[in-house]
This record gives sequence, C-alpha cells and structure tokens, in this order.
Amino acid sequence: MFLINCPYCGERDQHEFKAGGEAHIERPKQPTELSDDEWAEYLFMRKNIKGVQFERWNHAHGCRKWFNMVRDTSNDQIKLIYKMGEKPPSE
Amino acid sequence: MLNYNSPINNQINFNEITVKELSPVMKLNLRGKKREFFTTVGKQLDMILPTEANTSSSSSKLTSIWLSPDEWMIVSNENIEKDTNKYPLEESLYNSISKTNLGAVVDVTDQIVLFELEGSKIYELFSSGSPFNFNDFKEKKGSTTQTLLNNIDVTIHNKGENLVNLFVRRSFSEHLYSWINDSASRL
Repeated sequence: MFLINCPYCGERDQHEFKAGGEAHIERPKQPTELSDDEWAEYLFMRKNIKGVQFERWNHAHGCRKWFNMVRDTSNDQIKLIYKMGEKPPSE
Repeated sequence: MLNYNSPINNQINFNEITVKELSPVMKLNLRGKKREFFTTVGKQLDMILPTEANTSSSSSKLTSIWLSPDEWMIVSNENIEKDTNKYPLEESLYNSISKTNLGAVVDVTDQIVLFELEGSKIYELFSSGSPFNFNDFKEKKGSTTQTLLNNIDVTIHNKGENLVNLFVRRSFSEHLYSWINDSASRL
C-alpha cells in the first residue's frame, strides 16, 4: 500500500487510483500518411522501463481527474506529480 | 405519486450507530468552469460554489458539495415534494447553464441514494471498509470526500459531530446497506 498525492484532492490511498499507461505520447498529426509500422509504433509500443518512468494516472474513485506522475518502477517511489497539460520536467 | 422503491426495508438501529435513508431529497449534478458559469450559478442558488477541495457550502435550503475542480452536487436540505420528476431549480439552471453552453446540469435525484448515519461509532465503521484517513475529516463540519467503502464509490458529507450523509449509487445501495448492517453489528 502506498499513498498518492492527487493534485486536486490531496493524499489518498493507491486503491482510489487507476494507472493509465505512459504519458506524453503525441498522436501523429496525419495518421493517413504513416506506414503500418509507424502507426503500430504509436498505438502499441511503450517503453515499460525499469527505473524512472513518466505515467498518466486517474483518480478514478475520487475526483476522476487525470494527472501525470514520475515514478520509479523499480521501487514505486513517486518522484513528482503534475497536472495534465503541464510540461514534463527534463529527465 | 411516482412509484418509488426504497433500497432498504428496515432502519439500522444499534446502540452507537443508526442509519436511515433520507428521501425524497433533490440532487443535481453541476459541471462547468467558465467564469460566467460561477456567476450564473451563484445568482440562481444564492450561494457560492465551494472551490476548495473536499469542502461544501450551505444556504438555508441547499447544500453544494465539491466533487472535482469543475463538478459539484447540489442537495436540498429538506425533503421535497415527490409528486413529479421536475424541479423548478433544475429547470431554471438547465435553461441558464445547459442551454447557453456554460456547463451541464443533470438531475441525479433518483440515481443516487442518501443515507444518514449517526452515532459515536460511525468513523469506526468507515475505517473497517475504507482506505480514507478520516482524522481531519471528522473534526471539520462541512468537509466532504469521495472514496471507497467496501469497494463501493461513495460521497461522504460531514454534517456535524457524529452525523454524516452518505451518497451512493442506487444500484450499489442495497448491497452497501447490508454491509453496513453487518459491520455495525460487530462494532
């Protein structure tokens, strides 16, 4: 069990949240001009690294807002939480 | 009178905890974030919507509960007439907010069931089924929270010392009520 600091509601238990996958993946502006491989790269391929990762999370059982989180996947340590639309910190 | 079935068939009545359904109570869901939205709602409700997280504001007739930065629930303090599904307040809010694209107004009166819990052991009951830390919540009258209780989404509103209102979706209400009954019997 660990606590997540929702940027809107404050500190809550992890069970109130849902993970939403990797953050800051930009949708290609002209999908029709992409090859199948490039489209598949955008749709399916994720870094899934062991270490510091940028993720989207949703406070599903609270305010239902999405936000971004920088988390170390090896030890679940949360480095930073910031709102949607804010720029990610430089790695 | 509309056909209305209560999700509960008996009142929970233990020494230090009592639970009953409050009905019929009007509940409206309001969404919006434009500045005009806040001024229009303020005029209509004669009350300022709370912008601080996990709080509520009240007037003599209504209470507004913060749900998220752009979402609130408006609840009538008193029971209402249940001869019709139309409420004058909903209609005027709908005309001034939904129709003008300032935000959205949804009547959730029959979607959400309201339980009133009273007694010195209500927070012990919550602790047995919720991951939320109620230490600050119970000290502050008017505080609200959305959390899980027995893995069911609930909204809890602190009405006063050892008195809370608990909002739950109608489809989960019967199950939650029987869980409360069972858990309260073991406290």
